Amino acid sequence: MTIPRTDDTLKVMEKRFLLGEYGKQLWTREKAKEIRSQLQGRLQELNVGETLVIDVRDVEVFDYSFANELFAKTLLNLPVDYPGRFLVVEHLTPYTRENLEKTLESVGLVMIERKGKKLHLLGKLHSADQMTFDAIARTKEPITAAELSSQLDVNLTAMNERLSKLARLGLVRREKGTSPAGREQYLYVVLA
Amino acid sequence: MKLPDTSLSKLKLDAVTFDTLLERQNPFQSASRTFDLTGVQFIAPSALVQLAAACYCLGRDGRQTTILVDDADVRSYLLRSGFAQVVQTVVRFQPRMAGILTRTYDNVKGSNPLLIEVTRVQSGAELPDLLDRVVRVLRYRLRYKKNDAFDVAIAVSEICQNTFDHNTHACGFFAMQVYQKRFLEIGVADYGDGLATTLRRNPNNPPVASDREAIYQATQLGTSEFNDSTRGTGLYHLLEIAYKHKGSVQIRSGAAAMRFRMDKKQGWNFPVISMPGVQIAFTLPTKVGA
Repeated sequence: MTIPRTDDTLKVMEKRFLLGEYGKQLWTREKAKEIRSQLQGRLQELNVGETLVIDVRDVEVFDYSFANELFAKTLLNLPVDYPGRFLVVEHLTPYTRENLEKTLESVGLVMIERKGKKLHLLGKLHSADQMTFDAIARTKEPITAAELSSQLDVNLTAMNERLSKLARLGLVRREKGTSPAGREQYLYVVLA
Repeated sequence: MKLPDTSLSKLKLDAVTFDTLLERQNPFQSASRTFDLTGVQFIAPSALVQLAAACYCLGRDGRQTTILVDDADVRSYLLRSGFAQVVQTVVRFQPRMAGILTRTYDNVKGSNPLLIEVTRVQSGAELPDLLDRVVRVLRYRLRYKKNDAFDVAIAVSEICQNTFDHNTHACGFFAMQVYQKRFLEIGVADYGDGLATTLRRNPNNPPVASDREAIYQATQLGTSEFNDSTRGTGLYHLLEIAYKHKGSVQIRSGAAAMRFRMDKKQGWNFPVISMPGVQIAFTLPTKVGA
């Protein structure tokens, strides 16, 4: 039932967008609009299952308007325009993380941050959803709603609701798989 | 809110007493195009930018506004602050002002408490340079920690962007000054459509019955001229930053003003003489020696 994945495969699947190339201090919605059009160009190159990492290394500050235009707008459109693709942010400083988190909270969005090898969610999310995301991330392999339901001791209906929400936010990907009995079923995966 | 002593002979012109001036000599509702600053002994940056916005607004028909100013120190300050230079096309000073400067100050060095002179911002494209100056002057003149300087610059950015996002034919004015190394005062003013008009353009917003209501709504998360869930966060975040730094904010638009004292978690609203646009005064305790 598992889909084997290796670190090598992940490296091929992952593309990077270096935000620091646009400046250390990123001000205004206008500036973000220019950058977003380039970011969208990179998203269009992604296949289903691939990840675009926004690398924020060297960026010291961005204002809320910038963060709304670049991060929030891209995240809002991601599940619609680029379903099955992941957007991840990396190398945030404590300051840029705090401001990005406030931005996402203010518009009710959530984004995946990668710190080292660990995945973490930024924004406002119910602890149950966070727990579900963490459980999928921990398995490092596609997992079914039934498996998650038993692992977290949550009934299947509630688990399906949580998974739909995470998929809708672009935080997990839903893939079709086959059960040992030969039945079609959904598998849930988070990038590693 | 009770206004201070309205005797102009002792008037300190600041974000609050600017309305005393408008109450007494309202060039928006009279034929007289004059601001009489005779006897005024002190002008705060927030009042300077409000005055600049008022003069530009009145100057839309091509006529100049007269500013009567006699105090030698105030005249000198109007020159040093860059105010005289910024308004020279729309203002006639009496007595005539000689020696209007045409240079940008190097505010990173020296002891001039006016950290950034009165600056006319004509487009959003000018903002990044202005914000870089804000950060630099706070870091190197006042020894601010990087993130504290960034907080101030973000607040300025959010206020200034509103001018260009919601108006097509208005520019903004900005100035920043430190007082006895204890308080930082920032003034931003424009003479655009104002909050009520811009919020009414979005039919999805709740009805805006007054300027007071418009200011209140504009500070709420997600209320904007645009039907866009990523908009309507600027003034909300401005208040958050003021709260974080225990500062105060006065937002004035149309015929209303609201003042928030975040150190005391208090807010007031009061009617003022109607003036086009949005004018904001933002005061923070400094982080000197932090």
